[in-house]
Amino acid sequence: MVERATPLGADFRPGSYGDFADGVGVTLSEPSTGTIVEATAWPGHEKALTAALGRGTGLSLALAPGAGAYRDAKAAAFNIGPGRFLVSGKDEGLVDDLARAVSLETGTITDLSHGRTALRIEGMATEWVLAKLFALDFSLDAFPVSAGRATAHHDFFVQIQRTGDHRFDLYVFRSFARAFAMALRHAAQDVGYAIK
Amino acid sequence: MSPRRTTSGGSIDRRRTIRFTFDGEAYTGHAGDTLASALLANGVRLVGRSFKYHRPRGVFSAGIDEPSALVTVLKDGVREPNIPATRIELHDGLRVESQNRFPSLAFDFGAINQLGGRLLGAGFYYKTFMGPVIGPLKGTRFWMFCERFIRRAAGLGRADYAPDPSRYERMNAFCDVLVAGGGVAGLMAAEAAAKAGKRVILAEQEPETGGFAKWSNETIGGKPAAEWAKTASERLAALDNVRLLTRTMVWGYYDGNTLAALERVGDHLARPPKGHARHRHWTIRAGAVVLATGALERPLVFPGNDRPGVMLAGAVRRYAGEYGVLCGDKTVFFANNDSAYQAASTLTKAGGHVAAIVDVRPTISEAATALAAEAGVVPLTGQAVVETKGGKHITGIVVQSFDAATGALSGDARPIECDCLAVSGGWQPVIHLASQAGAKAEWDETLQAFLPPAPNQRWSGAGSFLGQMTTAGALESGRNAGLSASGKKPSRARLPEVEPSPLEIAPAPIFEIKAPISATRGKAFVDLQHDVTADDVRLAHREGFVSVEHLKRYTTLGMATDQGKTSNVPGLAIMAEARGISIPEAGTTRFRPPYSPVAIGALAAERYGNLKPNRLTPMHDWHVEHGARMMEAGLWHRPMIYGAPGETVEQAYIREAAAVRRSVGIVDVSTLGKIAVKGPDAAEFLDRVYTNMFSTLAIGKARYGLMLREDGIAFDDGTTWRLGEDDFLMTTTTANAGPVMQHLEYFLDIVWPDLKVHLTSVTDQWAGAAVAGPEARKVLEKCVIGTAVDNDTLPFMGIVHGRIDGAPVMICRLSFSGELAYEVYSGAGHGLHVWEALMEAGESFGITPYGMEALGTLRIEKGHVTGAEIDGRTTARDLYLDWMLSKKKPFIGSGLMDRPGLIDQNRIRLVGVVSLDGQPLGGGAHIVEQGSLDALGQSIGHITAFCYSPALAKYIGLALVKGGKAQHGRRAFVSDPLRKRFGPVELVSHHFFDPEGRRMHG
Repeated sequence: MVERATPLGADFRPGSYGDFADGVGVTLSEPSTGTIVEATAWPGHEKALTAALGRGTGLSLALAPGAGAYRDAKAAAFNIGPGRFLVSGKDEGLVDDLARAVSLETGTITDLSHGRTALRIEGMATEWVLAKLFALDFSLDAFPVSAGRATAHHDFFVQIQRTGDHRFDLYVFRSFARAFAMALRHAAQDVGYAIK
Repeated sequence: MSPRRTTSGGSIDRRRTIRFTFDGEAYTGHAGDTLASALLANGVRLVGRSFKYHRPRGVFSAGIDEPSALVTVLKDGVREPNIPATRIELHDGLRVESQNRFPSLAFDFGAINQLGGRLLGAGFYYKTFMGPVIGPLKGTRFWMFCERFIRRAAGLGRADYAPDPSRYERMNAFCDVLVAGGGVAGLMAAEAAAKAGKRVILAEQEPETGGFAKWSNETIGGKPAAEWAKTASERLAALDNVRLLTRTMVWGYYDGNTLAALERVGDHLARPPKGHARHRHWTIRAGAVVLATGALERPLVFPGNDRPGVMLAGAVRRYAGEYGVLCGDKTVFFANNDSAYQAASTLTKAGGHVAAIVDVRPTISEAATALAAEAGVVPLTGQAVVETKGGKHITGIVVQSFDAATGALSGDARPIECDCLAVSGGWQPVIHLASQAGAKAEWDETLQAFLPPAPNQRWSGAGSFLGQMTTAGALESGRNAGLSASGKKPSRARLPEVEPSPLEIAPAPIFEIKAPISATRGKAFVDLQHDVTADDVRLAHREGFVSVEHLKRYTTLGMATDQGKTSNVPGLAIMAEARGISIPEAGTTRFRPPYSPVAIGALAAERYGNLKPNRLTPMHDWHVEHGARMMEAGLWHRPMIYGAPGETVEQAYIREAAAVRRSVGIVDVSTLGKIAVKGPDAAEFLDRVYTNMFSTLAIGKARYGLMLREDGIAFDDGTTWRLGEDDFLMTTTTANAGPVMQHLEYFLDIVWPDLKVHLTSVTDQWAGAAVAGPEARKVLEKCVIGTAVDNDTLPFMGIVHGRIDGAPVMICRLSFSGELAYEVYSGAGHGLHVWEALMEAGESFGITPYGMEALGTLRIEKGHVTGAEIDGRTTARDLYLDWMLSKKKPFIGSGLMDRPGLIDQNRIRLVGVVSLDGQPLGGGAHIVEQGSLDALGQSIGHITAFCYSPALAKYIGLALVKGGKAQHGRRAFVSDPLRKRFGPVELVSHHFFDPEGRRMHG
């Protein structure tokens, strides 16, 4: 099996950066995501799609806008549009499982495992840093754990899922990943950040 | 210790001395000082020169309303001009210089403008330079001659061209309640909302909250007001649901309760900590807003009212109360309301000397009389200041009896010595944000001020913003506004106790003392920053400017950097009087954002430099490491050439293109737009969006497709691959990937929602490498496993799946170069791995990586079109792609593509161009039938692309020329006056190389 290359480049290397004299406010990393797919239901088949995704991932998904589910770093999914979900998992084989689980009568599965890059940001200053980039309310009440949002920062199209009280996974187009990581690092400089 | 600095009192830290320079001279101040307070403490009175007349100017106010004391801050090699000295927090190493003077502040040549004062009135430029004059001095020519001198003489500070190294950032915030203004009312509102459980943001433009309480000498709740405010602020800061933003000015109020604020994060620091911004721009989306923005004091208009040492009374009070600075040894107060008496009292308590209080009112309240007695003076009621004495600083005033009812002056003039004149003409609530939110200001006869009307967005007001000019009023209205914003009813609970305030803050309706103007008396200024006088306002009226909007533009009243904070109302009052109408009848202008200037850097924030978004292909680092010169193609970075040492761009692309024709080359095509088109109706959908048929395309095959816009103009082209019965991979041009996706989604969502088709951008999913040249197949044969690549297995436009060095690949045989060629697609994460494997397999064939220039050369030789020809004006027929227009089905654009204008044979159509003089052609150059470099002929078309063709050994190009094919074989000329190129060309078929396609089908 050929290992997938990271698009983040040599500059994205472990260490502490920015104003970290009093500790780092956030930690950035590239989580291991063997599978990223976009699953879309035909109108009227949304429930069937969430059920099928549940079978494939073990996640219990609701249909509300922005609703999501997250399971022990093994699989995650969240709503990114009407009847549309971004599903990710650690296992590269998940894409085939999902393709089998979702029939053409229900909807379609499109493999984006190479096409999207996940970046994780965690730490007490996470909301502060993300608020510099996105016009979203990142408070826990407005953006609960497991929920997701599809949004943009400048020309970066970004899909965001909250996976912990102080942790978010950000999915960007692979070609933008290095530039976006730079923007994220720039935004985190005042709170100090670590790359792991 | 400076002689003007009190030994105690105020909130400055006297233990900490701060060193700074002004015009190169060293001074000291204390922590907590502004530049203005430090200069005043050092006895510096002359701070700047005025905009037009170069009159000497000093510090006039103590806050954001400062019109006169504008300076240039020198920091990190950058000049930032026109910053009010009242807004600059003192810090070690601060370097500041005065502006609009030459050669020095004390001796300024520009002051000669004062002699031409009568000539330089309102509309001077319009009247003097725009009309026909006599002889050669006419109209705009004369203006252009004079402009250079006028521009040098007028103006404020000078910016420079050095890049600003400061860091700016943007921030988004959401809250239930935003409180704009952190004075007593704002603090009460924030606390009430916070106690109601709301998420609160309190924004205060000053370094500390408290507002008036910081220097008023009052008590609140039995404590000094400053201490009460500090404690209230600390309580708020300790709450989890409150964000306290100091040094943050809310400057814009937009629809949907979206507000803009600027936080000055690092201006007060000698050097911001690593990674910290200088300014942070906040976009705040608030459920409700409390406007507690306070009120600004107005001056009175009288001759000589701009001389250094003439200040606002409230400012004199603040300098004494907050900074421990006495603005003069002998201070005279001049007022039409009681607030000046509070100022006199504060000054006296701080150790200052009040020489007199001049009041235009015939009688004053007992409370004011008592305060005057505390200050040791008997008020000169029914009197007015008619003149100021002095040169670069006030040395005295002249007063005269004044009839407040008629404005008439009478009796003998009486001189009074003083070195500071503190003026108060009443108070104007800061209603700017409410005005921006759409509220039309309403005139209040009692306060003689514009007040905010009923809100039309979800905001409420508090404190002096509402005209509540007492501390008790601020406490009560603040709490009620906070409760109201939280959806609660007003509370009857006890408020902190304050001393009763029997003073009469409402002013007498006096705005101007119309004493005769003379050379010695000086002008009566309304707008100090733009040098607009009361006579200018009246002149504008005489010349027919009756609308307040026209008045503003003609005189430029209120259009300077201070946006007329001290001048708007006096200007309106003078205008109204001139017209014989009331102030509300004259009306007022609508305030627009920003409330006060905002650095452009803060608005641009991270949208520049190395933070500009870009897109990189999976093989980007390889290209850079192997000497590629990269170029921007939209947001993408692509190799232009892989230059060898000493090679020019032309030499490099010729070498690269020749290698492809001779042997084999490889180019990164990952940037091509790719869209997954899936669903049972995918084939039907493609039939509708493409001009040609796709439902007949076999699985495992690709087809070239052309899209039109609805108006019949060509839109985009590319190949689409059928990967399954209901699964297509569409490719688009790199530049058009986004627009094509939008185009498809529009039709799917709006026009054909019944079609079961899903679209997903998969551009980034695939890395693409095109291997082209006679040896291309051999390269693949060396490295591809799992599939054959021979002509039977992989014919032209065929697709196979296999592996290269363990990585899954999908290979389509298609050609942009005209050679035997394959596009090898792999998962983007495997792209570099596959690319390197292809390079290794091609090594023995001399495989040559090639860039965009060679790619362009090969396609020009072949006559393939790109965005240069599909330019939004050409049709399929113009490009000789009419063979792709299906007659068996309708498609987008088919209904309009046959309009007479679009099928005219004489339209500009695609041809090839050959240079006959051996010189390069030029993109965009005209094709003409006759003429010369100096005598331009009639254009019959233009060149869209050109190159040196290694295959043909000549300079060639593609062009859009009237008549197209009909011109083949004709001679014409390339005419490019911009690049001084004129030469003979031949118009030929655009298929320069291998027109039969033997090589790519071979």
